[in-house]
Amino acid sequence: MSSANVLMPQQATILDITEETPDIKTLRVVGKEGMPFDFMPGQCAMLSVPPVGEAIFSITSSPTCRECLEFSIKDVGNVSGALHGLQPGQQIGIRGPYGNGFPIEKMKGKDILFIGGGIGLAPLRSLIGYCFAHREEFGHIDIVYGARSPADLIRKSEVRESWAAEPDTSVYLTVDAEFPDWNGHVGFVPNYVSELAFKPEGRIALTCGPPIMIKFVLQALDKLQFSPEQVITTLEMRMKCGVGKCGRCNLGSVYVCKDGPVFSLDELNALPSEY
Amino acid sequence: MKKVIAREKLPELWKSLAAKGPLFLPIQEGPVVLFQPWSEGAEANLDAVNTAVSAKDVFLPREETYLQYRCSGNQLELIPVENAEPVIAFGVHPCDLKAVEMLDKVYLDQEPSDELYRQRREKTTVVGLSCREPDPFCFCNEFGINPADAPGADVMAHLKNGLVLLEARTDKGKALLDQAGDLLQDGSDEKFEAAEVKTADFGLNLEGLPENLKERFEDPVWDELYKSCLGCGVCTYVCPTCYCFDVEDFGHEGEGQRFRCWDSCMYGHFTDMAGGHNPRAGRKERVRQRFMHKLQYYPETFNEIACVGCGRCLRSCPVNLDIVQAIKALGGETVEQR
Repeated sequence: MSSANVLMPQQATILDITEETPDIKTLRVVGKEGMPFDFMPGQCAMLSVPPVGEAIFSITSSPTCRECLEFSIKDVGNVSGALHGLQPGQQIGIRGPYGNGFPIEKMKGKDILFIGGGIGLAPLRSLIGYCFAHREEFGHIDIVYGARSPADLIRKSEVRESWAAEPDTSVYLTVDAEFPDWNGHVGFVPNYVSELAFKPEGRIALTCGPPIMIKFVLQALDKLQFSPEQVITTLEMRMKCGVGKCGRCNLGSVYVCKDGPVFSLDELNALPSEY
Repeated sequence: MKKVIAREKLPELWKSLAAKGPLFLPIQEGPVVLFQPWSEGAEANLDAVNTAVSAKDVFLPREETYLQYRCSGNQLELIPVENAEPVIAFGVHPCDLKAVEMLDKVYLDQEPSDELYRQRREKTTVVGLSCREPDPFCFCNEFGINPADAPGADVMAHLKNGLVLLEARTDKGKALLDQAGDLLQDGSDEKFEAAEVKTADFGLNLEGLPENLKERFEDPVWDELYKSCLGCGVCTYVCPTCYCFDVEDFGHEGEGQRFRCWDSCMYGHFTDMAGGHNPRAGRKERVRQRFMHKLQYYPETFNEIACVGCGRCLRSCPVNLDIVQAIKALGGETVEQR
C-alpha cells in the first residue's frame, strides 16, 4: 500500500505470560523491532488472533518501560479467550496506540488518588508506573485497590511490595468479603474510599473498575466534595476500528476510541449516558 | 470539454469504457435497478431516478478484504491485500454524490484518514447524471441539492432529446472523455442547461433542528418513535450516508483473510461487548442512535445534516419509520403543514 492502512496490524510476539488470577493473565508483547509503537498511559491497542479476530485492550505497562508492552487481560470474550489460550513465543497482530490517554498535564503538581477495582487496575497501572518514574512532578500518591476476593487481585506483589515502598505513596487494599487467608481490609471499594475520607483540595482522583463500582465511587467522591473536573475515569466499549469511523463507540458525537477512553466527570456529564 | 453521444450508441461507449476496468452503472435487475459493474448484455437504466441501494459501495464496498494471514506453529504472517483498481462510476445522481462528500469528511478529512477508502476514491472517475424528474420519494431540495447538477463529478452528464451531453470538469473527467475517442462528438455548441427539478415538499423545517436535538437525548419522543421498528436494518443498508463497518476474520487456523463489511447500528450485536454489557441494548437506543447520528451528532461535527433526501429509506422501510417521519416527530415540521 502506498500509505498506511490504519486497520493493518503489525506482527508482534508474546514474550511471556503471567497468570494473575483464575481468569486474568498478563501478556508481555514485543514488535518485530522492540516496542511496536510509542504511547501514553491510558491509551489502548488492538490485538489480533486470527481467525478469531481483533479486540481492543488497554496497555497496562508504563511508557517508561521500553522493553515491551504489557496487557492484563480478563477472559471474557472471543479474542480475550483466544489470547488466554496462547503460549509464549506465539506471534499475534497488534496496532495502535488508540485514544487520548490520561491528562498528565492537568495532574502535575497535584496529589493523585487512584481507585481501581478488579481488572480496572490495568489502565491505571500504566499511569501509576509513569507517576513513579516522574515522581517529582506529582504530590502524594494514594492507591485504593480492591477485588471480590484475594485471588482476584492482580499484580499482588507489585502492589503490596513495590508500590507501597515508593516514596510518599500509600496503598490501600480491600476485598469484598472475609476470606481465611486475608487479614487486610474487608469491604467494597467505594465504601473504603468514603472511610479513608480523602480531601479534595489539590487532588485528582482517577478511577477504573466494573461499572457498578465506578458508579458508587463517583457518588463517594461527590460526597467527599470532589468536583467533576477533579474526577477522571476511562471507559470501555465495543470497538472495531479504533479511529472513530466504524460507528460503534460513540457517546453523542464523541468517539470513545479516539476522543476517549479517558474522560473527566464533567466531560462525561455533558455527553449522553450511553455507556 | 463538452461532448455528445446518441443514446442508442451508449452500449458501444460502455464497452469501450469497461475494457479498461470496472464500469459501474445503474443496471436493471428484474424489478429493481442496482449500481453494478456493467458487462456486455447488461441492461443499463439511466432513466431510473435512484438505484435501490446507493452508489456508496463503489467507494465503501459491502465487503473488502485487506489482509491475508498465514499461521504455522508460532509464526503469524500478515500480508496486506491491495484492492483498488481504476473504476468508472457512470450515472451517479446529485444526491448520491453529495452523500459521497459526506463520507469523505469521515474517511478522508478526519484524521487518521482511511487509506482503503482513499485509494478507491482517488481511482474512481465519477460521471454525474442530472435528474429530469423526481420520483415521489425524492426530497433532495430540502438539503439544498440541485437535482440538475452534481458538483464534484468528474464528468457531468445530461440526457436530452435522445442525446447524452457530457461535460468534463476535472482532469480525470477529460481523460475519460479522451478515452472514449471517436465514439463522442464535439458538444461545444450544445446547451447544457438542465431544467429545474422540484422534489417533494414533505413540509419539513430543518432550521435549527440539530441544535434543538442536542438537549433531547432523554426526550420522551424516543419512548414512542422506536416502537414500530423491526430492527431489520434495511434503512442503513440502502442509505447513502450510512458508513458503519465491521471487521471480521474468515478462514481457519492455518490461513485466511480479514475483511471489513457494512454493519448496522440497528443490530444488537453492533455494540454488544465481551462480558455481556450492551450500551445500546434495545431498539429504542438503536433507533435513537440512527436518527441522532443523522440529525445531531454528524451535524455537530461536520456542520450539515447527514441526509441527502434520496428517499430510499422512505421506499424501503417496511413500517414507514423513515427519516421524514423521524424529522417530523422530532419537531422538524413546518407549522403550516400541520
